[in-house]
Amino acid sequence: MSEEVAQLILFQVATSVFAAAVRDVVRIGTVREVAAGELVLDSALGTPFARERGIVVALGGIERTLVVDRVLGTRNVPLEAIQPLPAFAAACIRSGALAGLVLVDEVPMPLVDIPTLVRERVDRAAPPPT
Amino acid sequence: MWDSRAGFAQRTDGGPRSQDAWFFSLRILGGRYAFEAALVTEVVRLGPLTRLPAAPSFLPGVFTHRGEVLPVLDIGQLVGQGSIPVRASTRAAIVHCGPWKVAVVSEAVEGLVAIPRRAVEPPPAESAGVAEFLAGVAQDRKGAVAILDMPRLVEAARARAVPAGGAGP
Repeated sequence: MSEEVAQLILFQVATSVFAAAVRDVVRIGTVREVAAGELVLDSALGTPFARERGIVVALGGIERTLVVDRVLGTRNVPLEAIQPLPAFAAACIRSGALAGLVLVDEVPMPLVDIPTLVRERVDRAAPPPT
Repeated sequence: MWDSRAGFAQRTDGGPRSQDAWFFSLRILGGRYAFEAALVTEVVRLGPLTRLPAAPSFLPGVFTHRGEVLPVLDIGQLVGQGSIPVRASTRAAIVHCGPWKVAVVSEAVEGLVAIPRRAVEPPPAESAGVAEFLAGVAQDRKGAVAILDMPRLVEAARARAVPAGGAGP
């Protein structure tokens, strides 16, 4: 019987490593030729040191690129390695983009919902309605 | 025997007297702070912390303990008096307050202390910093100890954090 697994992409922003679902990612690439308006540089994950690599996601048919420092690769993890945030942490976190934690070698790694992360950033940058 | 439901001493064997209350004492912010002992389930050495994005400063991260992920509460950051340094030797008390389970990081763990209830005096009138969360102050053989209202402190921490969907960082 095959074990149910989640396919995750691991990436680094500044000094922290995060995981995200591969299914949310359109592609990975360089950000040099991406229009500035489509780039998400700073987010709840922090600000990357460099402006080289990006993870592209689609929001309502529009592509946005989350700038990251490194893409570390993909990893299949058993579903039971994905845990919800502890209740107190879930009640205190200021972003809806933290989807849970992945236990990798018993160390918890934040599991990020990149589309929600990017949407929050885009919404914050948008001018308030008049 | 120690009645953990009440947190008060019920000894009849020459130990702390029945009018004593049991507290759990930690060193935080250079001082002795205690809270109801029944709230503490165990003391652990902190493993490597994983920082969480968009977390308030009083939540410096999470760590795993026996396969369970636990959030760390830094009271120093909560009351605006700087962070309690986390080292390999740092210990934390795992505390249950209603629905919340947190690891309260400390500079040192003193452990259980029995304090006569009559020795607990009202806290000072000031309401800034950690004084906001004091239930009382007392003296024992080791000196002054401040009694924290831990459930109120944990609930205040949660309330101060902006929930998901609110204003972002």
